[in-house]
Amino acid sequence: MDEPPAAPLDPALIARFAAIVGDRNCIWRPDELRTYECDGLTSFRARPGVVVLPATRAEVVEVMRLAHRESLPIVPRGSGTGLSGGAMPVPGGVVLGLSRMKRIVEIDFANQWMRVEPGVINLEISKRLAPRGYYYAPDPSSQQVCTIGGNVAENSGGAHCLKYGFTTNHVLGATLVMPDGEVVELAGPVAEPIGYDLRGALVGSEGTLGVVVEVVLRILRRPEATRTFFATFPSTDEAGNAVSLIIAAGIVPAAIEMMDRLAIVAIKAATGVDWPDVGAALLMDVDGPVAEVEHTAAEANRLARAAGAIEIRVPRDPAERDTMWRGRKSAFAAVGRISPNYVVQDGVIPRSEIAKVLREIEALATASGLRIANVFHAGDGNLHPLVLYDAAIPGQETLAELIAGQILKLCVASGGSITGEHGVGADKAAYMDDMFTDADLATMSFVRCAFDPDVRMNPGKVFPTPRLCGDRPGVYVAHATERDGLAGRG
Amino acid sequence: MTGAAGAMVREARDEDAIAGVRPRQVFAPASLAEASEVMALAARERLRLGFVGGGTALELGAPPRGLDAIVRTERLAQIIEYAPADMVIVVQAGVTLAAVQAEVGKHGQRLALDAPAPERATIGGLVATGAFGPLRMRYGAIRDLIIGVTLVRADGEIARGGGKVVKNVAGFDLPKVACGSLGTLGLIAGAAFRLHPLPEATTTVQLDALTADGVVAVMAAARDAQLEPAAAIAVTSGERLDLAVRFEGFGRGVEHQVARFVEVARAAGAAVRDATGSIWRRHDAIRAATPRLRVAALPTQLPEVARQLAGLALAWYPTLGVGFATGALDGAMLARARAALTGGSIVVEAAPERRAELDPWGPVPAAFAIMQRLKQRFDPDHRLNPGRFVGGL
Repeated sequence: MDEPPAAPLDPALIARFAAIVGDRNCIWRPDELRTYECDGLTSFRARPGVVVLPATRAEVVEVMRLAHRESLPIVPRGSGTGLSGGAMPVPGGVVLGLSRMKRIVEIDFANQWMRVEPGVINLEISKRLAPRGYYYAPDPSSQQVCTIGGNVAENSGGAHCLKYGFTTNHVLGATLVMPDGEVVELAGPVAEPIGYDLRGALVGSEGTLGVVVEVVLRILRRPEATRTFFATFPSTDEAGNAVSLIIAAGIVPAAIEMMDRLAIVAIKAATGVDWPDVGAALLMDVDGPVAEVEHTAAEANRLARAAGAIEIRVPRDPAERDTMWRGRKSAFAAVGRISPNYVVQDGVIPRSEIAKVLREIEALATASGLRIANVFHAGDGNLHPLVLYDAAIPGQETLAELIAGQILKLCVASGGSITGEHGVGADKAAYMDDMFTDADLATMSFVRCAFDPDVRMNPGKVFPTPRLCGDRPGVYVAHATERDGLAGRG
Repeated sequence: MTGAAGAMVREARDEDAIAGVRPRQVFAPASLAEASEVMALAARERLRLGFVGGGTALELGAPPRGLDAIVRTERLAQIIEYAPADMVIVVQAGVTLAAVQAEVGKHGQRLALDAPAPERATIGGLVATGAFGPLRMRYGAIRDLIIGVTLVRADGEIARGGGKVVKNVAGFDLPKVACGSLGTLGLIAGAAFRLHPLPEATTTVQLDALTADGVVAVMAAARDAQLEPAAAIAVTSGERLDLAVRFEGFGRGVEHQVARFVEVARAAGAAVRDATGSIWRRHDAIRAATPRLRVAALPTQLPEVARQLAGLALAWYPTLGVGFATGALDGAMLARARAALTGGSIVVEAAPERRAELDPWGPVPAAFAIMQRLKQRFDPDHRLNPGRFVGGL
């Protein structure tokens, strides 16, 4: 995609942003803005008018007030690792980068929560907690670089969310700066906050409600034991069957990841793991108290063999386990070794449909002549097909986008979702209509409008067509019986 | 009387009252389409509506400012879809929790929600009240188990959020917005949930007559020992608290955890015995009692909770920091406890005799202005359970 022309902001206005955050943290020169034109989805680009990098809540408030007075759109941004264009700027608008706000504010081990700023890196949280034997559960593959603020925006998952849940199950509260600069606390460390579940609405809202300046997270005690195994299979059919048997046996693994032949080839090329060339592989963790884990690991092993596993490897030590997991987590980047370009998808299907949908994806690959690698969170049916192409060949990028889109339609048709963890962003907004009716989307926009009536927060994302909030709803009109004095408003 | 198509209509009776406010008539739609017609009719005629499932939480909240009709969900009682291999179920609002458990139990599964009165409590009501039981310790509350919701809006439009797969971030999380919304945003007509396997083995260990500090200490010791109980309850016993801790899982794993927990508890000076079941019955009685409070505070604040609520019988979930209390309530005690437990909350879940005296919700939350705007968007005429929720929402 060509770079859109920059819509320069008034230099006087830029100076006012610079006065809030300091010259060094206010970026406006075209060559420096380039870094901020896209997130991890590099085919979607736009040049912002200004990027501001506040260091404190007070600075965020000032930036938001100024943007409010000037009616400027705001796009919040963490590390920019998102894969759906959620942090793609509005041309000429403001990008609010939160990576300088990386304080760990408070940790309460006894009550199992901590308060952090949004720019803290996901993995840093668990590193900080490790000496006391605690951790933060959601582990997106980008956890070495992605920020907790971005995780909140996207409701990030990760391999281990099968057992432990998603970001939304681990966020207890948040401090939000509203589009007009007002600061609001949504819930907090104590259970049972009163009123609507606004933190539930916030997590996964993709930066469309406000700017998170602090997050309260649930922290967990490390499980006593983790058992990992890597099993190879002739094809994804047997591997899928193994997953079904394990789940049907009442085992809830911490993670079960599947990789197909092409994904294994790519991971080997990129990381040098000594995996065999097979049709499919599973990487699985079970964790919990030792005796429980020994039982479930043995049982899962037995079931994998019953399903036709060729070989089962158990890591000899934590280092070998880490190598196995690093292989899996590097899968997207690894595909870069076997193809100049690729499109990542993030569709979800009911687990029982895996074999069928994989065959349909294979048929799409055959028909289009493009290769498709599959890595996915098999336990919850979250597919990550990687459609490989070469942008140097005319028409291939368009074809790859088309095939990726058809995969999403397959997911929706099988009762699934267009995104399991990467978010809708700019990329998949056009597919929201496949999943939701106009009434569904209008109802979601009720939530948006309660926070951001001017639609200045990350506009153009999530919703397929621009939705304005319209007139603010009128004032309350008394019911006839109230007017007549038959009932009061207590 | 104009029935909305086939939706059954009758005159209301005393037992149809919500928080003491009696409606004039009762609708009972038998399908989603009928529910939509009822809601559209109510919009045209500007009827103020309440919603009733199993009627287990009708005393919760402030008296509505007025009710013209209630919509009962008892005829929306279909299990729409259950795919055991996917461990997901989609049900209409009027299905009881017990009916869900009976169906999924056939396949060795459960909805990991042990809310009170499962024979009567319906899915719609459980969502509307944000229900939970002791298993919340391991599996979360209903907000953590719900994956999809069907709402019939105040204007009669049908809106869905989420879906029927466990992992899904497409669009705003309407299922969570519905949880705990107490029928003030729309009629919850159906929902989808993730399921969990039924455990092979379950064992409860009971520790008698602990102090509040002792309960906190034992649970901390269990956490330090990396034990993973599925549920824990502390229930008033005289001036003290009995603690029951339940382990679930595969046989050997449970045995091993129980043995370790007994060691840990003895090391903490607690007397240990096998649970008799009576502690669960005492818990159930408190959760069903009238009058009743729901109390939330940080888990380590249990001693302060016990001090503030001295004289009441308490059933407390020690790792969650949530509990329920019953006994002689008065407004002064409630005000004092609310002031002492800053950051926490106390809700009067049921106190029909003292409605005028006991403020059911306490102070409005910090984000109340956003909540008001949310209500205004969903229900611009304020016809759905008007005034029942916090701050008159």
